[in-house]
Amino acid sequence: MTQVADWLAEVPERPIADRDLAVRFVMLPGDRPLVDAGDHVQPGDALFERLRDRRIEEVVISSPPGVATGSATRSATGPGTGAAAGTRGDATGGGEAGPATGRRWTPVVTSRIHRHVSGGEGELLAPIPGRRDRWRMITGERRDPVEAPIAGMVASVVPGTEIVVRTEGLAVRGALAAGVPAHGRLELATDPFGELRPGGIDVGRAGSVLVVGARIDAEALTRARAMGVRGIVVASLSGKDLRDFRASERRQRASLHAAPPFAVIALDGAVRRRIPSPVATLLARLAGRDVGLVMDPPGLVFDPAGIELPEIDPAWVRIRSGPGAGAEGRVMGPAGMHRFGSGVQLEAMLVALDSEPPHPVPIGDLERLAWPQATR
Amino acid sequence: MEVRPEALLERLRRRLSVVDPELAAALRLDVHGAAEAMPRITCTTSVPPEIAVIAATHRALMPLSAAARETGWRVVPVTLEGAQIATVAATLANPRLSAVLAGAGDPPGADERPLMAELAMQIGAAADRRPDLTMVLTGSLAEPGGRYEAALPQDRVGATIVGPSPGAADGGPLRRLLDSIRSGDDDGRRALAVATATLADVLRRPVEVVEVGQSSGMRAVADHAPGVRSEVEAAIVADAALLPRGFTDGHLDAIAGWLPVPLDRLRIRDRLRELALAPWGDATGEGAALRLAAARAALQRLGAATHRLDGRPPGVTVAVGGVWSVVPAPVTALALADALRRPGIRALGVDHARLLAPLGTIADPDERRQVMTDLRDELVAPLGSVVMPAGLRPGRSAGRLVLHRATSDTSVDLVPGGIERIELAPGERAIAELELRDALDLGFRTRRAAAEIAGGVAGLLVDLRDVPLRLPERPERRRDVLIAWEQVVWPAAAP
Repeated sequence: MTQVADWLAEVPERPIADRDLAVRFVMLPGDRPLVDAGDHVQPGDALFERLRDRRIEEVVISSPPGVATGSATRSATGPGTGAAAGTRGDATGGGEAGPATGRRWTPVVTSRIHRHVSGGEGELLAPIPGRRDRWRMITGERRDPVEAPIAGMVASVVPGTEIVVRTEGLAVRGALAAGVPAHGRLELATDPFGELRPGGIDVGRAGSVLVVGARIDAEALTRARAMGVRGIVVASLSGKDLRDFRASERRQRASLHAAPPFAVIALDGAVRRRIPSPVATLLARLAGRDVGLVMDPPGLVFDPAGIELPEIDPAWVRIRSGPGAGAEGRVMGPAGMHRFGSGVQLEAMLVALDSEPPHPVPIGDLERLAWPQATR
Repeated sequence: MEVRPEALLERLRRRLSVVDPELAAALRLDVHGAAEAMPRITCTTSVPPEIAVIAATHRALMPLSAAARETGWRVVPVTLEGAQIATVAATLANPRLSAVLAGAGDPPGADERPLMAELAMQIGAAADRRPDLTMVLTGSLAEPGGRYEAALPQDRVGATIVGPSPGAADGGPLRRLLDSIRSGDDDGRRALAVATATLADVLRRPVEVVEVGQSSGMRAVADHAPGVRSEVEAAIVADAALLPRGFTDGHLDAIAGWLPVPLDRLRIRDRLRELALAPWGDATGEGAALRLAAARAALQRLGAATHRLDGRPPGVTVAVGGVWSVVPAPVTALALADALRRPGIRALGVDHARLLAPLGTIADPDERRQVMTDLRDELVAPLGSVVMPAGLRPGRSAGRLVLHRATSDTSVDLVPGGIERIELAPGERAIAELELRDALDLGFRTRRAAAEIAGGVAGLLVDLRDVPLRLPERPERRRDVLIAWEQVVWPAAAP
């Protein structure tokens, strides 16, 4: 390593993209997984069904003496339904195993007392205390499919808890996310400094994931969702807009009809700043291609095949936070301990922004983007 | 974002080579990359794991939750009393959970007994759904080989632990158990507690360590008695992190209450979100004020969550954590005095090089003590001392403080409501003599007191403000008061 590289390494490094990202899709008890561990999924494949009208019923598991109609049958052994709950990564179908928490079940008669006949299947929760032949089952009639927004391999399925998918492409990590995972064709709606106003979104953008520059407000987000846009990628999203959008999203998801997926990814945080140049270049090269937006962790996932990944100058740095956040330049060398505003003394680097002479910037405010070794 | 430790070690090595080439050569640190080969001691702090604490009733839940909250867990409380079963199941199915702590009175109370079978079913179902969960059974559920343990699947990946009752030995054994399963052997906060005890031995004084970290806060108290190895009591509180997960409007109000600059709530919230994402950034100007406000609020939460550790006033209070690394040292002293309102006379220090926790990982107590003795003068940077009497009557002088130094004496009239700073350089010692009109609380009630005072960058702070501190309700007036106090130690922060 050269002497120059030594001091450059003191500037925090942020990987521009990650490979093999483990993406979590959270389920609730009653949701029905439609994949098994080891399955390969493509964008648009259904991962699980989310139950919209969750309710608990009592089911008779076996036929106790004197209960002629109290028998139960196993549900069709679809993916993710056969394993005892919690068996991460080895859900298997088939077999005549007994009842267990998380197992799918199709009752013939749900309650001997109430004589409530139900053909709907559900997920077993737990036996009723003192009655081993009776279980609580969580069920419902209306289910929304949740689609995979990305290509990858299902790493684990825990019924009622989570599905973890390992991505096959690269993932640009975000700082904040809202909405539900989505995928669509990437389009640049503004430049990296820009802001998208509600009036700038029309139905022609339906099905796309929009890159909207430095910031967007809650009104523009809800309009984008109403116009059929599948996702928004923005540099920063203020806490107020995030909160307003999340409240709107909750109301939307609670409505009678299923809403199409819509995701928002903020790449940097809450305070306004531009999209970093290397990321903006990458997004420009991805324009017109299908990308996935995931929530946990927040990120934009893309297939790098056929894409020339942008080169990044090793001395390129960006002011991540503090005064001048979002500005970019070249780091010229260490400035040592420097006295900043309010008499705070911090380690600094000399940074040349645009055509200005180099000036000291706290190292803690800087970041340099780099491609991880395994990515290139 | 990360910085490789090798890069920072190389910077230190380069500086050593420039400042003291002979020492660098003697240590064989005079060549590029030599620092990488040096032996290291390492510890890490991690994001607090989540634990579901489940009991039949709220009454049974309280002591279990308290034990988990003091051992660094994020607690998700669950009671069966009046709960929806679907909600209980969804809570226990949360993929972020690492463990479940289940308990009941021993014997179960009359209010618990009807729900005991349900409790057993719920924890059995949780273990069935998530075989990787660590299950801790306490109280009447903790009968070894009993029916509750037998109700859990035997071939699970996660451990099933029959734990002590929360009422046993004031909850100490349960807290130790929960702490032991929280993280690995290199846990930084556990090491910090060990180092606190050794520091008390080395300094021969009772020591209190208060840590404000990005993921949690910690308070450790070690007493000292001659000839006896010091024992430490510690509490790790996830909610005492600089910006805890599950940040609420209450947290925001507490931080805004300490801000000497006018910022609207939306901007404060956004900047705090940024601080959570980039904890080393925005450390100057308003950013410094915001960071200090968050640190004071965190210290208050830490103090409120650890009343169990309130006892005899410590001889030394040491501030630990990254938040103190980027603020002027005298302000750290003021922040400690602002947030830790306990009457007494104590020295203040800061773990400026953040060495305490790594030194706590040295397994051999004698070796650890020797290393810390060698580093004694550099380990804790002296901030100064604080004299904080309680019970002052407003509107009239409470008496006088005379500081007897080797060269001169300084006398201060004790006028309630303010804070005075007397210069006393690091390393300098003096005798503070208090003559009070009425008996006041200095950890004990007295009218006359004398104590040896250690100097530091903040000197001696004579803190005559209310205990506990009362701030004006009106924001403008409150900011004026905060600015006036801050001017005492941090004139550069003047708006």
